[in-house]
Amino acid sequence: MTTLAVSPLLSESVGDFTKPSIEYFDLSPLLIIIGVALAGVIVEAFVPRRLRYVVQTLVAVVGTIAALVMTVFVALGLEPRGDNAGFGAIAAEGAIAVDGPTVFLWGTILVLTLISVFLFAERHLEGGVTAFAGQAAALPGTEAEREASTKGLEHTEVFPLMMFAVAGMLLFPASNDLITMFVALEILSLPLYLLCGLARRRRLLSQEAALKYFMLGAFSSGFFLYGIALVYGYAGSMNLGDIAEAVSGTIGADPLLLGGIGLLAVGLLFKVGAAPFHAWTPDVYQGAPTAVTAFMAACTKVAAFGALLRLFYVGFGAARWDWTPMIWVVAILTMATGCVLALTQSDIKRMLAYSSIAHAGFILTGFVGLNAVATPGTAELTSLQAVLFYLVTYGFMTIGAFAVVTVVRDSSGEATHLSRWSGLGKESPFVAGVFAFFLLGMAGIPLTSGFTGKWAVFTSAWQGGAWPLVVVAALLSAVAAFFYIRVIVLMYFSDPVGEGPTVVMPSVLTTIVIAVGFAATVALGVVPGPVLDLAAHAGQFVR
Amino acid sequence: MTAVQVVFVLLSLVAVVSALLVVTTPHLVHSALWLVVTLGAIAGVFLVLAAEFVAWVQVLIYVGAVVVLLLFALMLTRAPTGPQPDLTVRRWAPAAFVALLVAVLLGATLVAGFQDVRLDLDQAVVGSAEVTGETVFRRWVLPFEVLSVLLLAALVGAIVLSRLRSEDGDD
Amino acid sequence: MAGSSTTLQTAYFGSYVPLLAIIVVGVLLVFAMFGGNALLRPSHATPEKLLTYECGVDPVGEGWAQTHVRYYVYAYLYVVFAVDAVFLFPWATVFAGLGWVSVAEMGVFIGFIAVGLVYAWRKGVLTWT
Repeated sequence: MTTLAVSPLLSESVGDFTKPSIEYFDLSPLLIIIGVALAGVIVEAFVPRRLRYVVQTLVAVVGTIAALVMTVFVALGLEPRGDNAGFGAIAAEGAIAVDGPTVFLWGTILVLTLISVFLFAERHLEGGVTAFAGQAAALPGTEAEREASTKGLEHTEVFPLMMFAVAGMLLFPASNDLITMFVALEILSLPLYLLCGLARRRRLLSQEAALKYFMLGAFSSGFFLYGIALVYGYAGSMNLGDIAEAVSGTIGADPLLLGGIGLLAVGLLFKVGAAPFHAWTPDVYQGAPTAVTAFMAACTKVAAFGALLRLFYVGFGAARWDWTPMIWVVAILTMATGCVLALTQSDIKRMLAYSSIAHAGFILTGFVGLNAVATPGTAELTSLQAVLFYLVTYGFMTIGAFAVVTVVRDSSGEATHLSRWSGLGKESPFVAGVFAFFLLGMAGIPLTSGFTGKWAVFTSAWQGGAWPLVVVAALLSAVAAFFYIRVIVLMYFSDPVGEGPTVVMPSVLTTIVIAVGFAATVALGVVPGPVLDLAAHAGQFVR
Repeated sequence: MTAVQVVFVLLSLVAVVSALLVVTTPHLVHSALWLVVTLGAIAGVFLVLAAEFVAWVQVLIYVGAVVVLLLFALMLTRAPTGPQPDLTVRRWAPAAFVALLVAVLLGATLVAGFQDVRLDLDQAVVGSAEVTGETVFRRWVLPFEVLSVLLLAALVGAIVLSRLRSEDGDD
Repeated sequence: MAGSSTTLQTAYFGSYVPLLAIIVVGVLLVFAMFGGNALLRPSHATPEKLLTYECGVDPVGEGWAQTHVRYYVYAYLYVVFAVDAVFLFPWATVFAGLGWVSVAEMGVFIGFIAVGLVYAWRKGVLTWT
């Protein structure tokens, strides 16, 4: 009969209570983003309405750039831990690990956020207002709604809400204990649920998307929380390092640990949109305002995969043989679901949603590569490096593609039905060309970043001995290529239906987003070296 | 069986029975009120397990605030208060199956994991406010502070979703 | 359970005996009052007596009225401050040990929520219209 382990922390007496240490410099990107969100709320409260949009945009842009600059400084200041054990340190009383991968993910998320802010701020396409509801509380189709739209009202709260989500996204992959991870998960999710429901057009669809996302998200948070409870019961600690120690000290399978791993995986796989927890993705991606879809498709996936990597490599690294089969099954299921169901879609946003599910599957393929630990100086690709690189390529392609979706419009807003896209190549060859390029990138055609990304994850999985998985993944990429190319054929070789699609000239903001996405997709396809090196230099997770 | 164990068993019975009533009663409002009983009984269970602070948090937050929020949410709906049998009777079999499956799985995991573990009540009151304070304000100070960000985000969001702009003014 | 009669445990559970007593007495009191009522009163049941009492007028419609969504914010504010208040209890216990550091920690926490309150105030949520 053992006694319930009271963790050392609890048994310390109150007398030697020391001041908690917070490494403000290491945490500065996160703190800046929280500050920006706070400033946004204050701006919303005190700045006159006509100035709000400009001030909010400026605050968000300047704040994100400042956080990005600080990320670079933090990256330069990371201390090597010696002997191939990564860079960085555990900060904030063990709550956060500021290490190479963390800083890499922070940088990725912040750059993607910066261009998402531009998409959020686009006012040209809706004729002088943002793409967000003028008054969310007004029922669709009522007098109040019409009044809000004639007055040109807009919710500028979307900027602080977005920054709250970004704060959660920065915290999520950096969290070094399960409690912090859960708090981060909630902070990144809650504003996203709200933002999904704030579309200016097709509001019922948008509200339905928000509700579905919220219900299923709350459910998955429940799974995550229960997983935390089981893992705590098993390890007696929330800290990932302590969990890793407990795991490596166990021989055989412990039901508490396996149950905990399973439940935590459900919570995280839901966020990355992996099958069988993907059901929300098409509805939410379709219903949410396209700017929000772009933001969450790119940034949430980066943050959630970062957290998944940290949890599984640091916390459950020693139980690798227990969870690898699960990842195999989920990866194959996810790729198959995404690729096959994308074929049947008739809505461009839904198709991109299924494409993002397929991408989640490809990323999971990279998960099972052999060496989580880099051996410097060899040509081997580690799983971590491959996944980090894939996340970067995927993020830029996705934001770029959704940005193009926002400019193809008809009288009722965005023309998302695929039939409306036929003949776009004749109508405006330039936009169609850019979109075709993004699609080719997602399909993984050489000379695009999609190819190098896929090459990276497949190589690392192959080196890890997961060759059957790589074969399946390669076959499914071929299936995926079919539906991407179908859209290209539609754009170039079909005649316009009815009056045909029109491309509305966006303001410079969306143009920048499309240009950045395009440039990144080309650059990472042609010269992937620097970013791959950067991902390799990120080293590994510290514990 | 000691007196403490008797109290524990009684409270658990109350919790389980009222939880069943939550999902079986056809009145929506009754369902919310039975939830109060369930949550209250669980607070009692926490109390018996020497998790004093958690018990009172349960009473303050769940029995107090969350149920109020639930009732408000019910009042927002146009749903009638009368009995709504189709909410509880329709598709009860798959629902019962899922619930049973979850209960068996989680129960089995817990029993398998904790069957040798005994809580030593002599050592210390593990769930007191002192222990919680010590951990929250030192070990978990960052998640604690970030929690206020979550509350702020939720507050802003709630206002965005629910407030109809007044016809006058600047705000 | 070993050593069940130690002082700590006795003190802990002992401190809750009055609470238990109050709950038991409270429940008994309800039954006693209603029971006594039922024994003493004459019983002439008519359907009219079962109607909702609405100041002497016949009740109209149902007892259920849909409320406006803006009242939800009040309920939500209550939840926020309940959560806030809950953290004050453990804070009070460590205040002596940590001193001003803990004041700063709590100050930041409450400061964030106060910003939310300022926002609510500026948006006119706190005025009853």
